[in-house]
Amino acid sequence: MVKRKEFIIFFLLFLLSLFFLYVYSDITKAKNEIFDRIEHHQIEQISFVLKNIEKDILDSSENLGSNDLVAMFGNTTIREEYEHIISLMLTSNVKYAYILHKDNENRFRFLLDASKSDKAEFYQKFDVTSPEYEAVYKEKKPQIIEQHDIENLYLTYLYPIISNGQVVGLFSIDITTNIQKIILESIKPLETFFAVLIIFVLLLMGMTIMQIFHYFVTRKRIFTDPLTKTFNRNYLEEISPLLNLEHYSLAMLDLDKFKSINDSYGHKAGDYVLSRASMIFKESIRDSDILVRYGGEEFLLLINNRSNNKTNIDVCERLRSNISKELFTYDTNDIKVTVSIGLHKHPSLEKNLQEAIKLADEMLYVAKKSGRNRVITYDEKQSSESSSSTSSKDISFVKEALDENRVLCYFQPIYDHKSGEIFKYEALVRIVSKNGTIVSPIQFLPGLKNTNMHYKLTQRILLIVFEKFRSSQKMVSININFSDLINPDIEETIIKHLSENHHLASRVTFEILESDKIDDVELFKKKINLLHSLKAKVSIDDFGSGYSNFKTIIDVEANFLKIDGSLIRNIATHNKDFRVVKSIVHFARQSNMQTVAEFVHSKEVYEKLLMLDIDYMQGFYISEPKASLAEKEDLFKKAI
Amino acid sequence: MKKFFLLLLLTFSLFASDSKDVLRAQIIEKIISNISINEVITVWSDNKELIAEFRKSSNIITTDDCGKANIVVIENAKNIENKDCKNKPVFVLNYNLLKDVPESFGAFFWKKGRPNIVLIKPRTLSHGITIAKELEAYVEEKIW
Repeated sequence: MVKRKEFIIFFLLFLLSLFFLYVYSDITKAKNEIFDRIEHHQIEQISFVLKNIEKDILDSSENLGSNDLVAMFGNTTIREEYEHIISLMLTSNVKYAYILHKDNENRFRFLLDASKSDKAEFYQKFDVTSPEYEAVYKEKKPQIIEQHDIENLYLTYLYPIISNGQVVGLFSIDITTNIQKIILESIKPLETFFAVLIIFVLLLMGMTIMQIFHYFVTRKRIFTDPLTKTFNRNYLEEISPLLNLEHYSLAMLDLDKFKSINDSYGHKAGDYVLSRASMIFKESIRDSDILVRYGGEEFLLLINNRSNNKTNIDVCERLRSNISKELFTYDTNDIKVTVSIGLHKHPSLEKNLQEAIKLADEMLYVAKKSGRNRVITYDEKQSSESSSSTSSKDISFVKEALDENRVLCYFQPIYDHKSGEIFKYEALVRIVSKNGTIVSPIQFLPGLKNTNMHYKLTQRILLIVFEKFRSSQKMVSININFSDLINPDIEETIIKHLSENHHLASRVTFEILESDKIDDVELFKKKINLLHSLKAKVSIDDFGSGYSNFKTIIDVEANFLKIDGSLIRNIATHNKDFRVVKSIVHFARQSNMQTVAEFVHSKEVYEKLLMLDIDYMQGFYISEPKASLAEKEDLFKKAI
Repeated sequence: MKKFFLLLLLTFSLFASDSKDVLRAQIIEKIISNISINEVITVWSDNKELIAEFRKSSNIITTDDCGKANIVVIENAKNIENKDCKNKPVFVLNYNLLKDVPESFGAFFWKKGRPNIVLIKPRTLSHGITIAKELEAYVEEKIW
């Protein structure tokens, strides 16, 4: 809004300066007009007098010729008489008055000089440079010489003495600058005042222009991503209230396996790929499309579809194809890059832009899951059948946290009551909010289901945990759901870190949510086998809460069975729950799986579980999750 | 061309009242350069500003000793009375001095704000001064 205010001020200043300029030019015009009028009036007066004197001179002799005039004024008495008459014209404004004559050699000579000062002799030569002197003879008309350059003279009035149609001499009247000076002096303060005002207003205008310029420079910096030179999320926030989504399709673009580029070739190479890819994006879209770097290697594209409804898919395909055709060469390394795109053709059908982004992001997730390097378009019909519990706010919240490195892990001990030692720790995601509070996953994780953001978050957690436990002797459990497990990027991360470090792999347990719907059991088994082959352990999480398929559970040969908290919570008071848990423990033993009970929140629950001979336990009664790894002596603090 | 240059100087002198002394010196230098006295011209003047300007010129030699000069430029006749140079060719800075100083052969002066040059032919001849064609427009047969 600063912009609008500055523009209004600038416009007002502009009008003001125009007004002052108008007044200033009007004053100057008025000044010139006054000069002209005074000049005209003065010359008119002088003309009348000179005409009378001319008449008097001509009346003194018939057929007066040029030489007669010289002879006439050669007579000192006559000359002095006329000098006296002409001198009556002298005022503070009329400085010099004299009669000139042009001799046979075309030199001008004084015939008489009525001036009070600087008086010339009779027939003294007078060097003139202005062409008006000759013009008097030629045109036989009075001439005015504007004397800008002779000290104290304003103008010279030349009046011909004409006898028998011939110019025999001329009156020359020099008018001083007195009146001009007086007028100038009286107007000068006014002129100065307006000149100062104009300068002041121009300065203000200059300052306003500077401010507007500064605003645009700052605005560009605020709204532009320095690496890719595309718009950033600030810009999206700025335009979203004004954006008419009916004119746009929305696509989420994500460079495939970007992390591995960073890991393999370094961050500089990653930056180069991002910069080059964004250049290709920009070259592949039109001026009316808006490209925004949404975070990391993810871009948001608003495709203007006013002209053609099919354009959106064409643009996305072009983008995908251009990126896959390009060979990125950095530091002699040829890097192959592809892009996955999630497209929402009609974002205006959603409640707001964030909702549309979320759906496009879901499509992006599908594109990734389906093998990457493809465009997946959102199907409104299919969507209307399935209700989405995801929240667009959660996506933004997690995205920002990932970008700003505010994602961290808390660790809750899993206790071995037989040995009295901590068996392992369960890694639990937390986000530090912008105001510094710790946000638990229940507040954002449900909203991420089936979005690209979910797997990015999982990937980040894997990296945090692998890093923390790489050189430790302790064991750790990581929660992962089926959809994450089949994500190629996540699989790649797991393989990369665990295949080369069996020591780490043997201490990692993947807790797979049993509550997750498993569409492809064979694929699920395959992925579990992969984890086994890496020497990692597998735990079935939240057992007893979901679609338990006992055969599948047995087939995957999980190492642990974690009994769902909803069954444990009331085990001390609900006999039915106790019996169910007892059955599960029995089933686990029969299936060669160790059991873990979560949600151990009280002494009563803990003692009941001891009765059931559960292998491991975790819960607030034993220890709450902490940012650091709890030690044995930190346990059961609540019990004391 | 030279005449044109002098005319240009005369016209230009109207424009620059601040440097009237400089212009006067330039015009006089031009006039002196256009007369011939069969020897190298050495100038003496009672006008200090004029001499200072002449000293900057490569065409004119100046002297502090009036007796060594062969052209004397004066603005006051009294300044050469009883001096060795009183019989030398004199160039005056006032028209009336032409009448007062019999040895004067020419004058440069301001008349009604305009620059004027007068060279008196009989006197130039009596001093053996030859006047270049460019200055002919300013030559007078007598003093009026």
